[in-house]
Amino acid sequence: MAGLESFLSAIAGFVTSFAIVDVLWATLLGIVVGMLPGLTATLGVALMTTLTFQMEADRAILILICMYVGAIYGGSRSAILLNIPGTPANAATSLDGYPLARSGQAGRAMAIATTGSFVGGLIGMLALAVVAPALAEFALSFGAFEFFWLAVFGVLIAGQLTALDDPLKGWIAGFLGLFVAMIGQEGIHAVPRFAYGSTDLAGGIGLLPAMVGAFGFAEILTVMRNQSYEVVRGKVGSIWSGIRQAARYRFTAIRSGLIGTFMGLVPGVGEDMGAWASYAAARQSSREKDKFGKGSVEGLMAAETGNNAAVPGALIPVLTLAVPGSAPAAVLLAAMIIHGIRPGPLIMIEFPDFVFSVVAMVFLATCAMLVIGLLMTKPLLLVLRVTRERLMPVIFVLCTVGAFAIASRTFDVWVMLVFGVLGFILRELKYPMAPLILGIVLGDILDKSLRRGLVLTDGDLTPFFSRPISIVLFGSALLFILVSMPSSRRLFARLLGKRAAQNGSEDMS
Amino acid sequence: MTPSRMDRLDFVSSIVLTMFGAAVLIESLRLPRLDHLNVNPYTVPGIVPALLGIILCACGVAMLIRSILRGGWRLNLTSNSVRDFAKAAAVRRTALVLVLTLGYALGLFGWLPFWLATMLFVFVFIVATEGMALGRLPRLPNIAIALAIAAVTGAGVAFVFERLFFVRLPG
Repeated sequence: MAGLESFLSAIAGFVTSFAIVDVLWATLLGIVVGMLPGLTATLGVALMTTLTFQMEADRAILILICMYVGAIYGGSRSAILLNIPGTPANAATSLDGYPLARSGQAGRAMAIATTGSFVGGLIGMLALAVVAPALAEFALSFGAFEFFWLAVFGVLIAGQLTALDDPLKGWIAGFLGLFVAMIGQEGIHAVPRFAYGSTDLAGGIGLLPAMVGAFGFAEILTVMRNQSYEVVRGKVGSIWSGIRQAARYRFTAIRSGLIGTFMGLVPGVGEDMGAWASYAAARQSSREKDKFGKGSVEGLMAAETGNNAAVPGALIPVLTLAVPGSAPAAVLLAAMIIHGIRPGPLIMIEFPDFVFSVVAMVFLATCAMLVIGLLMTKPLLLVLRVTRERLMPVIFVLCTVGAFAIASRTFDVWVMLVFGVLGFILRELKYPMAPLILGIVLGDILDKSLRRGLVLTDGDLTPFFSRPISIVLFGSALLFILVSMPSSRRLFARLLGKRAAQNGSEDMS
Repeated sequence: MTPSRMDRLDFVSSIVLTMFGAAVLIESLRLPRLDHLNVNPYTVPGIVPALLGIILCACGVAMLIRSILRGGWRLNLTSNSVRDFAKAAAVRRTALVLVLTLGYALGLFGWLPFWLATMLFVFVFIVATEGMALGRLPRLPNIAIALAIAAVTGAGVAFVFERLFFVRLPG
């Protein structure tokens, strides 16, 4: 009940102040950012962090959450109309959204995507309100051993799930991120590592300039490298029939919302997997499997519900463990720290109202997304007419100034450039970016937890493998590695095959 | 079996990664052990970076073996393949964008007044990339639009950051 009270008072506080204006413009800007191919939710939230760091904490975080929610939803527009996902989270949306648009049902597709995103956002928001306080309390029992395994588990699972075709590359990206976090003064003896006499390097690599580079500059290079795009021409069609049709798939929406929230909760995995996992589950259980990929309303609904449900889902580990559930959530984590909020297991003790304030922010952003998405369908189409040649230089200027403005250091501009070029090369080589960023965030936790743990046990490794939560996290990490190795998969298949054959022969006898 | 382009790229990148992992390991071992301060040996700064160096090295070797098994070591580098790569439109576009962006961020940014550097960069970027796509100089109305976008960006971004956020921009 105390939680509901905090939530309602936060809503009342936002509605009766000018915050509602912030909600509207920030969500609209988020939708525009998400719509434009090349501008991702991560970049939008990172650039907005540089523009809001002088505001009060509540106002800044509200704007960032609206940008996040809006961008993940906005990406569905370009996925439907251009067959190019506005953000990577909307890749599954284009599979059915684009065929619908090509058959003259773009309006209906956009309405279904909007309804799905709204339902997904609400389900994720409810999970955030219920799970976050419980998880924070549970996390109070975490010690150095558990945090060490959490960091290892996070990097491995993010690496595995963001590079399903080649998990090795996902893990390499994660370990590279962990190494980046080692640069600069370490947290126990203040010894500069890999600084080579540079005071800038001794200060460490800032997460925000690195993210602006990896998700902004790298994306500019990728977009400019590719062919230009064309908008679907022709009839947009009615949007209201889409809303009625979406209601028919309410069970798909609820299931996708739950799957999306869970995928958001898993460290570093985020909205992309939220959409893909929901889409796969919807296809598996659908009576109209053959329509998937050819303009299935159910498929579109599942993908869009899944990715928007992952947004509040990704905020759960941010608030309770200080571990981001996705790349944009990593920026939000950095922004919260900049604004003096310390996310982690103590959040319900140190900032008891903040969690429910975040729930209220997600609620307002989701409502604003619904209203703007439905009322501004046609005006928003104009955004897609901006050519990449005219948009990208402006974005690069914002990346440069944004990286510089955080600490007024030219060094941060260099970090942005290095991570941009490195990010571009890694993408071309099919290395995912999310584990790299998660690694940068988790590096400090991993470093301190391992060394503290070793000091506590005087070098004895047993507690790392014997405490209950450590066993679960270590076991899961090990299982993930084994499952992804072709040789162990073959061994499992052979063992299962033998058992099935044995069962079969027993049944026969 | 003919190796794919990615197998060949993996072969090269795995060598770079293995060398990088080895370098991280060596540099980690060279970090101070703080013996003179009598610190607990389990807290020395090089432990975690050294472990990461070993893991990166191991991942690099695993990928190297995989790429060799797939035939990625056959790079098939000929003067013709290099020439074709350099001539590809996507490569030329990327190179142009790299030159323009790095020129702005490393050269103009901080050297010229911010608004002027930004105006110049945005204008040249639009005209050069549109020109490359068309194969000729863009028409006058397009050049005028580029100039307008450049002016609005230069003045707008300078106003927002310098006047509203009180960030002292370089230059």
